[in-house]
Amino acid sequence: MARINPEFSKELKKYGGFDLNACYNCGNCTAVCSLSTSENSFPREMVRYSVLGLESEIETSLNPWLCYYCGDCSSTCPREADPGELMMSLRRWLTGKYDWTGLSGLIYRSLTASIIAFVVVAIGVIAFAYAQAFNLETILHIGHYFEMFAIGGVFAIILLPNIIHMWYLTILKPKTKVSLKTYIKSIGDLFVHMFTQKRTLGCDDNKTRWFEHFILVIGYLSLLFTTVFLDWFSAQNLFIILLGYVESAIVFTVTIIFVSGRIQKKKEVSQRSQPSDWFFVIGLLLMGLTAFIVRLFIDLNILDNNVWMYLFHLIILAQWALIIVPFGKWTHFLYRSFAMYFDKLKTLEGVYNE
Amino acid sequence: MKKKIGIYICHCGGNISDYVDVEKVKKAVENDADIFLAKTTMFACGDTNQNEMVDDITNMKLNGVVVASCSPKLHLQTFRSVSERAGLNKYQYVHANIREQVSWPHSDDKLGATEKAIKQVKAAIAKARLAEPLEPMTITAQKAVAVIGAGVAGIKAALQLSDMGTQVYLIEREPFVGGRTAQWERIFTSNETGKEIISRLYKDILSRDNITVFTQAEVVDYSGSIGDFKLMVKVAPRFIREHCVEDNLQKAIDVCPVEVPDSFNFEINSRKAIYNHYPSEYPYLPVIDIQNCTRCGECEKVCKNIDFSQKEETLNLQVGSILMATGFDPYTPADNEYGYKHIDNVITLPQFKRLLALNDSKLMYNGKVIKNIAYIYCVGSRQVNGDNKYCSRYCCTSTIHAAIHAKEKFGNINNYHFNRGIRTYGKQELLYDESSRMGDIYLQFFEDGEPQIYKEGNKTIVKVKDVLTKYKELEVEADLVVLVTGMVPRKDNAIGSLLKLPRGRDKFFNEIHMKLRPVETVIDGVAISGACQGPKNVTESVNSALSAATKSFSIVSKGEIDLEPVIAIIDKDNCTWCGACAEACPYDAIQKTVDGDKSYAVLNSTVCKGCGMCLPVCPSDAIDLTAYSNHEIENMIDALL
Repeated sequence: MARINPEFSKELKKYGGFDLNACYNCGNCTAVCSLSTSENSFPREMVRYSVLGLESEIETSLNPWLCYYCGDCSSTCPREADPGELMMSLRRWLTGKYDWTGLSGLIYRSLTASIIAFVVVAIGVIAFAYAQAFNLETILHIGHYFEMFAIGGVFAIILLPNIIHMWYLTILKPKTKVSLKTYIKSIGDLFVHMFTQKRTLGCDDNKTRWFEHFILVIGYLSLLFTTVFLDWFSAQNLFIILLGYVESAIVFTVTIIFVSGRIQKKKEVSQRSQPSDWFFVIGLLLMGLTAFIVRLFIDLNILDNNVWMYLFHLIILAQWALIIVPFGKWTHFLYRSFAMYFDKLKTLEGVYNE
Repeated sequence: MKKKIGIYICHCGGNISDYVDVEKVKKAVENDADIFLAKTTMFACGDTNQNEMVDDITNMKLNGVVVASCSPKLHLQTFRSVSERAGLNKYQYVHANIREQVSWPHSDDKLGATEKAIKQVKAAIAKARLAEPLEPMTITAQKAVAVIGAGVAGIKAALQLSDMGTQVYLIEREPFVGGRTAQWERIFTSNETGKEIISRLYKDILSRDNITVFTQAEVVDYSGSIGDFKLMVKVAPRFIREHCVEDNLQKAIDVCPVEVPDSFNFEINSRKAIYNHYPSEYPYLPVIDIQNCTRCGECEKVCKNIDFSQKEETLNLQVGSILMATGFDPYTPADNEYGYKHIDNVITLPQFKRLLALNDSKLMYNGKVIKNIAYIYCVGSRQVNGDNKYCSRYCCTSTIHAAIHAKEKFGNINNYHFNRGIRTYGKQELLYDESSRMGDIYLQFFEDGEPQIYKEGNKTIVKVKDVLTKYKELEVEADLVVLVTGMVPRKDNAIGSLLKLPRGRDKFFNEIHMKLRPVETVIDGVAISGACQGPKNVTESVNSALSAATKSFSIVSKGEIDLEPVIAIIDKDNCTWCGACAEACPYDAIQKTVDGDKSYAVLNSTVCKGCGMCLPVCPSDAIDLTAYSNHEIENMIDALL
């Protein structure tokens, strides 16, 4: 039995702009949603749980992560309640819920907190550079190590515990019995979804968006690999240098498309941008762009006279690695992939057939 | 005078002629005595045939007409009108039904059908031979109307009748006018208060000189019939002559030691034995509730105008018609229905509405501040097992309106509506929308999944399997549970029994025809309006009141009324008064009269409907019926055999 909690909708409101009270249970959203099946009702079930404030039902559900926000439900809603944005807000709320530090929720709820975090990181980077007397070589060297340690640290301290928390909430808490065999058998799904976002193809009119997104993910991950493990900024190998250029160019050009989409607001999906969305796309854009320019400055031999350029890149990098990756929208990448994996486990164990 | 009868046999397209040989019927009767004309026609009711009939009757000076066609329910009036247009008395027209009674039921036996049709027509001819011209009876009508009940419907009807220029007696049983409407604080959808509406209406009444208002008045006896009802009205005294000077009235109320549950507030608080409900209440004079007064004399010490010597008065009124506007009672939940009277914070919708009116800054009940309110809909309406199968119409909207009102007035309130489908029809839908937008939560159940209310420690829990959440079991912790009770007929049906007003299965007063005669009753001259007829909101009550007022006025407006001449005739020489006829009469039209040592039955011809129930029970054959005399019926039977 679940107790109704009307305060929940006020809490959820802080995670996004949608109108829960407008819903009159017509079910149009479910009728148009390509994810809806007779057992699993998208997105109405989540709308209803949110209206009633059934937190434990929401936190144990994978459904918000299975939605790729095609926006059909929102454009079909006769009451303009914006169920698509509700699903988005639930994802933000869940991110906050999984995060053991509580910083995720804080950053999503409060723009001020986000800005303070960004400013603190920027000041930290500048202070570090000042301590190194703005010596390019040292900064470059430490910057490279920072990248490596940040990736490892963030993953071990923040992301891994959070994923385990997510697993606890969605698999363990609802008492889903999953055999080890199933875990192993389905592991492929995790990586397929992580790298291809295959499921989004199921949403109507999403082919272009999927392709852009796919290219971006591949570009971003390979750029990460190139800079961190192939040490692009110090590389002498022409192939690696060119590879880095291409990858960073892909990252910033594709993000420009996404940013302009959010500005033009033509598609349902890009109509309501929260600060966290802006931080994510702009961060990605600047990261690709600054990496490109930094390498260009290196090749043109003008970076020594323009240390500020690398500092700027490092600030973006630090903000990305310390704020957006562990606590911001980047985590979607991880949680979604795991949600697909966990969903596969549940499907194979026959949870939805009961 | 020699009879000249014309006969028309209808094909009805083929509905009749496919099974009945109409030509053979014509041949069988055209040579009978008194038959002057016999025709078959494709459609007797068609304009061409109607015009032909008018010409035939006029040119041939027919004094009897028979049409053999469909049911008289369909076209008796049509051909009576044709006769009248041709100058023939309409009672000399006779209808034979050879469709519903012959061609349709006997489609498997054409020969038999034709034979039966011939007999039906011959019977009709037998009646036509004897049919006499009749004229309607005209009676005088009193130019006054009694309106029973001074709620919003009664007052609006009285004002309407007064506008049309009729004397109105507005008779209210309670000490104050306004009825249920005065009890509601804010009323949907105009958001006026009931008090405001009633105050405005009675100010209007006071400006009229043709409306007489009686309060604490009850009709205890009545006689007569349409056009001339005689009502005996008992008026109870108020025991107060006029307002005490210098606000001593409040002192008088303060010193009264008696406390009784206040029915105006649906007994959520108490009042004194001397009281009024609110200061400006008409008739601007408080009242002493003599049933509960202990005659301690305290009030007399502070107010000189209290007068215990006042006596009950009896008035006799004469009116042409009666308009009923006696209203409804709110449904009282059964003992422990949803915890009523067992769980301390379970109240009814009317009580909740009074609670909203009586609280100012905080919503309190039983000394506790109320935040979470659960509303259980359809309590006492749409019952699966009980008698009240109907929907009470006003409650969904009223509840939602009250829920919005509570939120607006007291702020921090959560509303939970446990409903069986919301019926805020018409413009009331906007309120449903408004409440949803304000965050009210709607949970739905079907009749087989009623919410459960129980105590958990000192908390009250409402539990339901919500239809809108895939029958998931949900619970709410409620500070107050409001049972949305519907409307039931007045518990005290004294006036209804007195007038012998028929009631429907739902026990509300019944109209003649729900759609076409919505305010008339089978008692001629008695109209019904407002919620005494069935659940209605204020708007609907006023609509029906204005309609009933117009209908009542149409009876008294001309000063005389035409009545159907088809009635019983009693031969007093043959009557030995056994009382069987009076017992059989459903309209109370027969009374015993004693003339010297002879007793006999006398008919009230204005009440008699000519139904014929008295005829077969008379052992001495002393009763006959105009237009359906024993002689006529015997002749028809002879023709049929």
